[in-house]
Amino acid sequence: MELIFKVYRHDPTAGTKPALESYPVSLPDGATVLDGLLQIRDRHDGGLAFRAACGRGFCGECTLRINRSGKLACITRVAQVAKDGEVTVEPVRNITVLKDLVYDVDELLWQKIAWVEPWLRPATAQPDGGYVIPDAELEPIRKAMSCYYCGLCDEGCSVIPFDRRFSGPAALTKAFRVVFDPRDGAARERLKRLGEPRGMWDCVHCYEANEHCPRGIDPTDRIFDLRDKAVELGVKSGTANPQVARHYDSFAASVRQSGWLDEGRLALETWGLGRLGELLPMAWRALRRGKLPVPYLHRKRPGAEWIRRIFDKVEKRS
Amino acid sequence: MPDHTVVVVGGGVAGIRAALAARAQGADVALVSKVHPLRSHSCTSQGGLNAALAPDDSWETHAQDTVAGGDFLGDQDAVETLAREAPDAVLELDRWGAPFNRDERGRLALRRLAGANRARACYADDLTGHVVLQVLHEQLLAARVPAYVEWVVTSLLMDDGACRGVVALELATGTLHAITARAVVLATGGFGRVYEPTGASLGLTGDGLALAYRAGAVLMDMEMVQYHPTALTGTGALLTEALLGEGALLVTGGGERVMAEAAPRLGERAPRDLLSRSIASRLKAGEAVLLDARPIGGARLGRSFGVTRHLVKAVAGLDLAKEPVPVEPVPHRTMGGVRVDLHGATGLPGLFAAGGCAATGVHGANRLGGNSLLEALVFGRRAGEAAARAAAAAPTGQGASSRLADEERALEALTARGGGPDAAAAIRQALTRTMREQVGLFREAAGLAEATRTIVGLQERHRGLGVTASGRRWNSALVSHLELGHLLEVARVVAAAALARQESRGVHARRDFPERDDTGWLRHTLASFTPDGPKLDAQPVVITRWPPGRRAY
Repeated sequence: MELIFKVYRHDPTAGTKPALESYPVSLPDGATVLDGLLQIRDRHDGGLAFRAACGRGFCGECTLRINRSGKLACITRVAQVAKDGEVTVEPVRNITVLKDLVYDVDELLWQKIAWVEPWLRPATAQPDGGYVIPDAELEPIRKAMSCYYCGLCDEGCSVIPFDRRFSGPAALTKAFRVVFDPRDGAARERLKRLGEPRGMWDCVHCYEANEHCPRGIDPTDRIFDLRDKAVELGVKSGTANPQVARHYDSFAASVRQSGWLDEGRLALETWGLGRLGELLPMAWRALRRGKLPVPYLHRKRPGAEWIRRIFDKVEKRS
Repeated sequence: MPDHTVVVVGGGVAGIRAALAARAQGADVALVSKVHPLRSHSCTSQGGLNAALAPDDSWETHAQDTVAGGDFLGDQDAVETLAREAPDAVLELDRWGAPFNRDERGRLALRRLAGANRARACYADDLTGHVVLQVLHEQLLAARVPAYVEWVVTSLLMDDGACRGVVALELATGTLHAITARAVVLATGGFGRVYEPTGASLGLTGDGLALAYRAGAVLMDMEMVQYHPTALTGTGALLTEALLGEGALLVTGGGERVMAEAAPRLGERAPRDLLSRSIASRLKAGEAVLLDARPIGGARLGRSFGVTRHLVKAVAGLDLAKEPVPVEPVPHRTMGGVRVDLHGATGLPGLFAAGGCAATGVHGANRLGGNSLLEALVFGRRAGEAAARAAAAAPTGQGASSRLADEERALEALTARGGGPDAAAAIRQALTRTMREQVGLFREAAGLAEATRTIVGLQERHRGLGVTASGRRWNSALVSHLELGHLLEVARVVAAAALARQESRGVHARRDFPERDDTGWLRHTLASFTPDGPKLDAQPVVITRWPPGRRAY
């Protein structure tokens, strides 16, 4: 198979601009994109920088953008991705490139994983012969731990491009692993930490993480699990991030009262009267376009009574 | 200049376990690794961890299986240590939160791996190594052990015969650093990359072995290279032997059972050396060999082998649950390494080794599945503890700055020299071809002697070679050059040791000496560095309670 690999080359310390370099590559059928990159090193430029380790889909090290979509180079067959005999290989998006295809994973992943403090804090002493636990309780933990930090969920995340400090779905999946481990006894403290800015409440539930995860872990759902657990245990994120807490409280109060979301009220209560001034320019623009929701003057929607009863029921249960 | 009490080189299971042990002893320990710890080769281990936890099992049975599996070349004091300490090593992981599979009573589930007479391996689906590595890394974070990640060790800081630190290249900046210490633990993994194709990670280039060997440590049993019997043909993708343990069959294209003759009792659960040779003989005769996982059942395959199934689909477009898949043996686990005692000591003051780069003698001439991660845990801990103890009484090394300057000049000379773009690749390809063809599954004197001559010639070419790519930051050409030097050094010892051992034992199969010879060769092969090539020697096998007998599977 004769192909052209177009590879992103850039040394940010050299003062040059990034460019796609073309390399002719000759590969057997069934070859992977990693095979192609290794051949470029062998035949054209031994200095082409990229990361790769196990070479067979176990370690998650070689995540790259291949023909504009995030993939692991070592298990992506060239024949399946080549378009008109070309394969474009670039670093993943929304991340600092260090050199060529090597990007800052420390910023993307490792620091965030350390931030969730993902080591077990056992609730009870281990009995002789090991903890006795139904396998069904460990199955979700194994699933979450099958994450190999390829970073594809973070690459697809809708929040990280706007706030690189957001802990992101990979680190929160790691948090799930300890919060839900039946041996762990520190869920409350963990959830308090995860309720801080950059934590679980910053997810906008766009479900991109689920779409991107190659291991079927559904990280978005794991974030929901964490939030549900925080609600269940009554862990309020209020102290760390009052704005987020007010946002959720106001959201719930509005729907409970009228069955609708009162957006004007939400804005006022989230931001607080003290910062009303910051809202006024936007309110003015919205008013001119006939889009200003008038706070607190919502009519109840049909069936609002049923919605209120749902709230009552849920609250009674927790 | 960074200074620590203990420096551990390598961030896989053995390295992290050693670092945690040294930390628990109160040592100021740091980890140096050329890849992020979670990308270490340990993560590819699928099958499990052997430990005599079942009521009908005992450490003696575990040890006996290990000794027989290793074709009686294993040092039985080391095997006993491994088997006795296995349950604690596994329970420690349970305490740290490893989500091992449970049986219907909620206790650790056990599966049967090759060469074991019991179901003895605890496991986490088909991701045991991955999960163990994760849990250890969590503990490493909890212990706040500093880690120099993506730093490549270029040499050991030796002072009057003792190891007092390392010189390492920081990839992100291209800066060379001396990291001083009172003791160093090597945990760099094996050297499977002397072969291609191989199941070994790209980084398994024998770094720790070559560094220690050049510094004066002894390499042991280097001829013992295990093939993994069931790699997906043409891909190097390994299909875990747990598949065979749980009921998958090996059949020829004509539907004949491959293991019927070689292992009438254990069949597909025979040790890897037998499986590999049986499969290879069929392939050589022009037959296809297929792994048929359908007897396991679709539901169980999906639950316990999800990752394997996914990978087979990705790289070959085949579905394990629906069709048999073609397999072939590929070089996999190297039993040889830096000779160490039961505490990981190499004999050079301040230098310890554990895991894939060390030879504790437990695996003998053929490693059993489920014993690798276990060895890394048990002997990683022992090496870490011993290093911390030794460091507490050791003096600070001298001369680090001048050694750093020497290394700096050597690297500059390399990058200044330049060289053809494909020269390094040609040398590596010639090496791996030679190893595959002449130091492979079946060996004989003429080929091994020729392999030695070839490797010596390649070493000569490598010495004259420079590094084409300029700049120090993320210079993969420079790193590959250093790794190729290690591979050549280590391969030369493998060929020499394989030529010397005139018998067939475990994974070492000589066509010209097809029988095991306990009178002449019940002994370890040792190799010491000299400028003219390895000087070979021998050492008796430690036998405590299991005299050599016939292996019957």
